[in-house]
This record gives sequence, C-alpha cells and structure tokens, in this order.
Amino acid sequence: MLNPLRSEDEAFRFLLYAIAVIAVIVGLVLALRAVL
Amino acid sequence: MEAASIAHGAAHGEHEHHGPPEANRSSRVEPQLLGMLLFIISEVMVFGAFFTAYFFIRVASGDPWPAPGTTLPVDVAGVNTAILVSSSLTMHWAQTSIKNGNRFGLKAGILATFLLGCTFLFVQINEYANIGFAPQDHAQQTIFYSLTGLHGAHVLIGLTLLLFVTIRSFRGHYTPQEHRGVEVPGIYWHFVDIMWIIVYTTVYVI
Repeated sequence: MLNPLRSEDEAFRFLLYAIAVIAVIVGLVLALRAVL
Repeated sequence: MEAASIAHGAAHGEHEHHGPPEANRSSRVEPQLLGMLLFIISEVMVFGAFFTAYFFIRVASGDPWPAPGTTLPVDVAGVNTAILVSSSLTMHWAQTSIKNGNRFGLKAGILATFLLGCTFLFVQINEYANIGFAPQDHAQQTIFYSLTGLHGAHVLIGLTLLLFVTIRSFRGHYTPQEHRGVEVPGIYWHFVDIMWIIVYTTVYVI
C-alpha cells in the first residue's frame, strides 16, 4: 500500500496521484457548473 | 583521572560509552521519518482548520467568491503552481541521483528545487503587493491571505531545509548509502506541493 510518509519515492508518487485525482475533481466540478 | 578510568574500563574489557544514553526506540519506523510523519499529520490538521474557515464562508454562509469587486490572478497563480510542481520533479531527480551515486544530479536537482521554491515565493509576494485588496477588507480576503499565507510560510520553512540540504550536497555530505538528510526534507517538500495544489484549486479555480 502506498504510504507517502515512508520514503521520498512514495511521497512523489502520491503527489502524482493527488494531481491526477484533483484534476478529475476540478474537471467534473467545472463541467457540472457549465451544464447546470 | 579520565585516563585512569579508561585504563580501568579497558582492563575489565568494558565498552567506554561517551555522550547521552541511547534513545529508546518504541517504533519500527526510523526516528527521523517518524518525526516528519507526526509533523506532517499535525500540519494537515492546521491546514484543515483554515479550510474549515474557508468552506464556512463559502458554503455555510453562502458568500460570493471572490468578494464582489475583486478578482484573483488565476493565471499567474497557475504559472506559480507549475513552478512548484516542477520543483517537486527536481527534488525527486536529486533524491534518485544520490541513490544512484550521481553527485552532479544531486547538486543540480537540489539547487534547482531551491531556486524554483524561491521563485514561487517571490511571485506570491509580488501577487500580494499587486492584488488590490487587504486582509481586513472582507472575510473572503481574510481567508484568502490566511490560506495562501499559511502555505507561503510552509514554503519558507521548506526553503530553509532545502538551503541546508543544498549546502551539505555541495560539501559532499551525502552518499548512496546515507542520504536521509535529502529524503526527509524531500517528503516535506512534496507535502507542501500537495497542499498548494489543494489551496490553488479551492481558492483560485473552483
């Protein structure tokens, strides 16, 4: 399991996952705002 | 006196211990990592308190965001976000380099990280100087400065750590076997980066 506090490698991978997840959330929110 | 004591210890085959007693280790996690782990957990709570205030103003109170008559420099902050994400890439490059015994990669990576962090902070200070509103103007402005300022303070702390890492890197203090001094500040730097991405998306974008 990914633990960002175990090593720099995992913290960096966690950062990439966080960017991907946040990008999806922002995309969804902006799309919903445009539709509704 | 001391020489006599050492001679006495040696005569009895005892190990002469200098300095304070060894610290007790009650965890399987290395103390340096455990310290950073606990620190980051406490930091998440601090940011959580500030985000609570932000969401209270925006969601519970239903106040407009940003406050009427004001605009937030989304594009400049977006470029600043790219700068900070780039600094995480260079940080990772530095860490990977020292793991593989590449001293040039370590020095170039850590120096680039430090300079990118300085650029981020400079741009943010410049943004404050030109944004056209003050913290006391509205509740929205107060929380804007609080959240971005709290994060800016973390960047400053991170830069202080990176300054030490940069100096030690140029002095050749790290090896492929022992580079925790790069690893632990690296974890902190990625945490600062993640927090900024959350701050940027909530405050500027959404």
